Amino acid sequence: QATGADQAVGFGLVGFSLLLFTYYTIWVIVLPFVDSDHVVHSYFLPREYSVILPGVAALILLLVVGTFIGVVTWKNRKPRKVD
Amino acid sequence: MSHHTFRHRGVIKVRCLVESGELALCAAGGFCHFYFTLLCPIILCTMTKLLEWVFGVSLIGIAWGLVTFDLLDLQLPPRYKEVAWPMPIYLLVVFGCYSLATVGYRVATFNDCEDAAQELQAQIKQAKDDLKKKGLKM
Repeated sequence: QATGADQAVGFGLVGFSLLLFTYYTIWVIVLPFVDSDHVVHSYFLPREYSVILPGVAALILLLVVGTFIGVVTWKNRKPRKVD
Repeated sequence: MSHHTFRHRGVIKVRCLVESGELALCAAGGFCHFYFTLLCPIILCTMTKLLEWVFGVSLIGIAWGLVTFDLLDLQLPPRYKEVAWPMPIYLLVVFGCYSLATVGYRVATFNDCEDAAQELQAQIKQAKDDLKKKGLKM
């Protein structure tokens, strides 16, 4: 059996991704078929953000990964030996 | 060193990501493969997996472009266009969610292996001592 912390993290990830999937699916696929004066529209940002926000998130992820690689490479640089 | 199959967690996570990618690929590939096995004798070329993939993705891309930019003047109702234009990003987000859920589930259901963990720690210590003797600075 996996230990408590592992289970918490694992199921937390599952729950988070389910929430994200439901919210994003409703935003992208369901909302255009709902009348524009329905109250559910107030829970969602304008449609442009459904493309901008994941794009920005992907950019930030790339930046973080690139920075991490850069920092580790910088730390492990070795000066060339002078004979 | 004893040789035993010990699945370290990092390997499991990488395997999960690869598996989820493969599942997505298989779903699309299975659909397109039928048409390529018919097309290949006609095209008379060796259709590699990469070519199949490029072909399939470009077909889907062209279909998406036609709907989004109204190149064929199909005059679809605006609701369907509203749904169609975020599709690439939507599929990417859905794939990311699926990968995250798979990794999370595998982390939660992976059984702890106490013996293997201790054996791994002992092997790490052994390797570190050996490398220190050979001059590697940690």
